[in-house]
Amino acid sequence: MDNSNKIKPLSEELAASLIKNEGNSNLRESEIFDTETQSQMLSKIKTGEYSNLLKEIETKKDWKVIEKKIEKRSKKSFKFWPYAAAASIVLLVSVAFVFNKADNKDVDFGEPVIVNNNIKTGTDKATLTLEDGSTVVLEKGQDYKSNNISSNGEEIVYQPVIKHAGKEINKPVNYNMLTIPRGGQFYIQLSDGTKVWLNSESKLKYPVTFNAGETRQVELVHGEAYFDVSPSTNHKGAKFKVYHQSQEVEVLGTEFNIKAYKDENHISTTLVEGKVAVSTESVNELLVPNQQLHLNLETKTTSKATVEDVYNIIAWKEGIFSFENKPLKDILNVLSRWYDMDVIIENTVQKEERFIGTFNKSNSIEDILIAIKSTGFINTYEINNKTLTIK
Amino acid sequence: MRGGENKFTLKSYKKLFESLYPQLCVFAYKYLNDLELSKDFVQEVFLKVWEDKISFKNENHATGFFYKSVKNKCLNYLKSKQYKTTERYELANLEDYETEEFYMTEAVTIETTAVIEKAINKLPEKAAQVIRLSIEDYTNNEIANKLSISINTVKDHKKVAYRKLRSFLSFLTVK
Repeated sequence: MDNSNKIKPLSEELAASLIKNEGNSNLRESEIFDTETQSQMLSKIKTGEYSNLLKEIETKKDWKVIEKKIEKRSKKSFKFWPYAAAASIVLLVSVAFVFNKADNKDVDFGEPVIVNNNIKTGTDKATLTLEDGSTVVLEKGQDYKSNNISSNGEEIVYQPVIKHAGKEINKPVNYNMLTIPRGGQFYIQLSDGTKVWLNSESKLKYPVTFNAGETRQVELVHGEAYFDVSPSTNHKGAKFKVYHQSQEVEVLGTEFNIKAYKDENHISTTLVEGKVAVSTESVNELLVPNQQLHLNLETKTTSKATVEDVYNIIAWKEGIFSFENKPLKDILNVLSRWYDMDVIIENTVQKEERFIGTFNKSNSIEDILIAIKSTGFINTYEINNKTLTIK
Repeated sequence: MRGGENKFTLKSYKKLFESLYPQLCVFAYKYLNDLELSKDFVQEVFLKVWEDKISFKNENHATGFFYKSVKNKCLNYLKSKQYKTTERYELANLEDYETEEFYMTEAVTIETTAVIEKAINKLPEKAAQVIRLSIEDYTNNEIANKLSISINTVKDHKKVAYRKLRSFLSFLTVK
């Protein structure tokens, strides 16, 4: 019997239960291994018998070898097979959408109408604006290098600049700006080692290098960003501040998410780890992990709440959208940024229907729509060029 | 499933490669006892799958397919004349290697180790140390002694770890 297809689910489940100290019942239940083999396997896994060997494998380097061969061979085959499409290995990506109500209505489903589908899944891309105002487009395949900056088109890294001892002159800082379009996302590492994940339709302004000992200042002009700030203790105690037109977040080395979209009338700052102080025109609030400060930009009022599951808020940076009991209109608003599409919901009742769902950002828009449609709460949908209409 | 958007692009194939390559090399090494050769074989399997435009139903299918292909490639090599003429031949216990039990035992052991390593790599250093010891069946008390920290700190590190791995762990158990 061939159990190959069980290798992955079995291993993942076993790994999860070992990490959570929940035993190894799935190994027993699989009925593939006898008791002695099970205990040998467990002892090898627990002592990490293969960990060192695994670490020796240079995956990135070896991929380059494969990539070169693939590119070479695909050029060759193109001559022979002008019609041959690219390799067509199809991976089903799991999409799970559950409607939060138990009763499923019976609705007449219409067939989706797709005209000229131009809605594309988002990718890593950004525009870098240099201090002289010139711009560089960053996307896969576009390498960029200059002074302490390097980008492979999928992320950008600013190397720390080493200053000569004794002659540390704090010069005025030069600022660069990273603009992420709709349908894009990007990762940047600042010269102090702070890591920032930027979501679609976001803009971050930051210094090319930071002056030693001075407060490190960046500005989230708009959009959503997740910050993993390099601790002050590594930078002569220098604080880190994230400015926004309507608020300022002061941190000492921590992880947090700020969502400040232009088309939303509020800013949410969510702390994952450490400690931050958020100040607005009127208040100065300290946040502890799992707390969220909500600033209403119209009334200028703030409210502080504990987030039940901070994961839902930061899942986007892991390549996942996770919606917990969110109205359809909010879900589609988030999707519209990643898939760069316009959304029309024809029925006002549907707008407020709430869903629970998780899916991979690598899914196509249609995979997600099929999942939403399968809940029975939308009749059908239409795609015309870049516009999605929910019926 | 509509095919159009879901073809393996070079980017998605790279993702698949990165998620499987290290453990497949270690897996091949269990048969071949030669790491360089193991890497070559695994790379050849990846090239072949790309060129043959093989399609997979889902990720479990893809993972199983690669393990099986690497196993077959290794066994074929061990049975080949080329190998029999080398001195290492006597070391290999071919009959054991050919059993389904050897195959599944090694595959699951190595794959599980890889999943755990991937998870631990996502953690801050201290939390990673705590989880490593915890997997080795150390109690909170023993971990506290070993790392010279308090039991409560051990518990806190575990909490941080579980929270960080939340997506990872829940995704695994949802299936």
